[in-house]
Amino acid sequence: MTRRPSTLLVVVAAVAACIAPLVLSDQTFFVHTVLAAVVVSGLSMLMGYAGQASLGQGAFVAVGALTVALGTTRWGLPPLVVLLLAPLVAGMFATVVGRPLLRLQGHYLAFGTLALLLMVQTAMSSIDALGGAYGVSGIPAFGVGGWTVTDQRPYAYLALACLAVVLWSSARIVDSRFGRAMRALSGSETAAESAGVPVGWTKVGVFALSAAFAGLAGAVTAFFTPYVSADSFPPLESFTYVIMAVVGGLGTIWGGVVGAVVVSVLLQALNTVSSQPGLPPTAAPIIQYAAYGTVLIIALLFLPRGIVPSVGSLRLRRPQGSPA
Amino acid sequence: MKEFLTYLVTGITLGASFALIGSGFVVVHRVTRIVNFAQGSFAIIAAMMAASLLRGRLPHGLAEAAAVLVCGVVGAVVGWVALGRRGTHPLISLIVTLGLSMLVSAAIILLWGQDPVSPPGLRGHVTLLGVDVERQRLLVLLVTLLAFAAVALFFSRTYLGKALTASASNPYAARLVGIDVRRMGLLAFALAGVLGGLAGVLVAPSNALSFSSDLALALSGFAAAVFGGLSSPGRTLVGGLVLGVAGQLTAGYLNGSYQTEVALLLMLLIMIARSRTFVAEEAK
Repeated sequence: MTRRPSTLLVVVAAVAACIAPLVLSDQTFFVHTVLAAVVVSGLSMLMGYAGQASLGQGAFVAVGALTVALGTTRWGLPPLVVLLLAPLVAGMFATVVGRPLLRLQGHYLAFGTLALLLMVQTAMSSIDALGGAYGVSGIPAFGVGGWTVTDQRPYAYLALACLAVVLWSSARIVDSRFGRAMRALSGSETAAESAGVPVGWTKVGVFALSAAFAGLAGAVTAFFTPYVSADSFPPLESFTYVIMAVVGGLGTIWGGVVGAVVVSVLLQALNTVSSQPGLPPTAAPIIQYAAYGTVLIIALLFLPRGIVPSVGSLRLRRPQGSPA
Repeated sequence: MKEFLTYLVTGITLGASFALIGSGFVVVHRVTRIVNFAQGSFAIIAAMMAASLLRGRLPHGLAEAAAVLVCGVVGAVVGWVALGRRGTHPLISLIVTLGLSMLVSAAIILLWGQDPVSPPGLRGHVTLLGVDVERQRLLVLLVTLLAFAAVALFFSRTYLGKALTASASNPYAARLVGIDVRRMGLLAFALAGVLGGLAGVLVAPSNALSFSSDLALALSGFAAAVFGGLSSPGRTLVGGLVLGVAGQLTAGYLNGSYQTEVALLLMLLIMIARSRTFVAEEAK
């Protein structure tokens, strides 16, 4: 059973998260961090419960973003409708590709999902109906009814609302019948199967769920940016989701949030350091790559408890910090 | 017909380099069950280093050999980190090597900058089956064939090679007869470094490499290795050649930008078609 963090901690974190957009002058970092947490929450479930790593989670972010981009600009659908449609489309896409793809395991699935991301990118850049070489621009601002968003701040709250929905539904799902099947997988697939768990469909279900979360994050990104092209979803970003999931602790409700916040803040701090005057222009990519690599290796090799999932028994632990 | 032959010959030479990188995946996976994401990075290090040494007036041959040896050392270091503590799960090791490939990227930018580098290679062309082929590309094919022969002989004919195979097929029994399994793992990584480095110094004269080429190199090598179930060098060679030719035919007759996608699609199809045997192999 999931050990829940103390209610106090959650309340403090939630209050801090709600105040932050009022204090910040530029919401870009905040929105991206919260949306990363949305994606990583799903990935953390996939890695923690199904024991499978996806190196191409960006493919589903792309599907969600594309749903919004095409839905609003080409088919004239209202923003709220496409926002709700995006996770459904991403989830359905994952169900379709997941059936054959999830017959793969371990390394093969990791490379398979990476291949999927690269193929989605090529499809986006070479098929004109999906944006083509120029991408899709001119996505209208988000709005409901007669009210339309005019500045950045509402997007911060929209992203927070999405995160709240994702966390709440994750908690419900983990305690449901499907959640028990999912947790049975993380122990032994053979044991789960002999206990009557439909292993294949449960895996596809977790995969689709993580894709739906990613699609939701993609949808908000599309409204926020407001531009979607194949280059918006580089493989490095998908690798970052894996880093965040691993750092936060796999298969925990709060792990995704903690990982996303810790890694984002660290990268942002290093970004500020490397853009100081006097440093050569190559300092930024050097520090960035070095930071990614170091964080990942240190987290995996030296903080293995609660972070190493698929090995033997899954340990659920208290989150180490509070999301801010 | 001439067009077709051109694609065939360039495809084969290109495929040879995929196979060479793929053989690095195979050597490491056979012995340690780890898939080494940094395999593509070895090629880039070797290419950059060879270019620097050649500019430092080292003669051809010597510069390339030195660069390849350095990659062997880098390979051992990567292996030392990736093997981690005893009992580190192979999937965790994969993500560790992903982190290592990022660290290598940082080091490459630090030492050599972000621009693609293409060291000088063999000049001139030869005519083969009525098709003009760069001599450098022929060299790639030749060295690849030699390297595969050497790897095959090493695994089947030497004590060290047999110890490596023993560690692969049953680590526990290998330990019982006094084989240091961890050291064998390091050796496999060093060998993978050499093979990756070889691919780098051979490919770079015709296709410039930069720090960001690692993903493409690793994917094409992995795709070739998938043909051999990540454990058979011979089938990896065939896989590399098939991928190279398929890619060139697609680029020639359909569209150049689909070249990688064809390779990826082939890789996915083969992985899914053979998924049952793979699961059995992983469970061993």
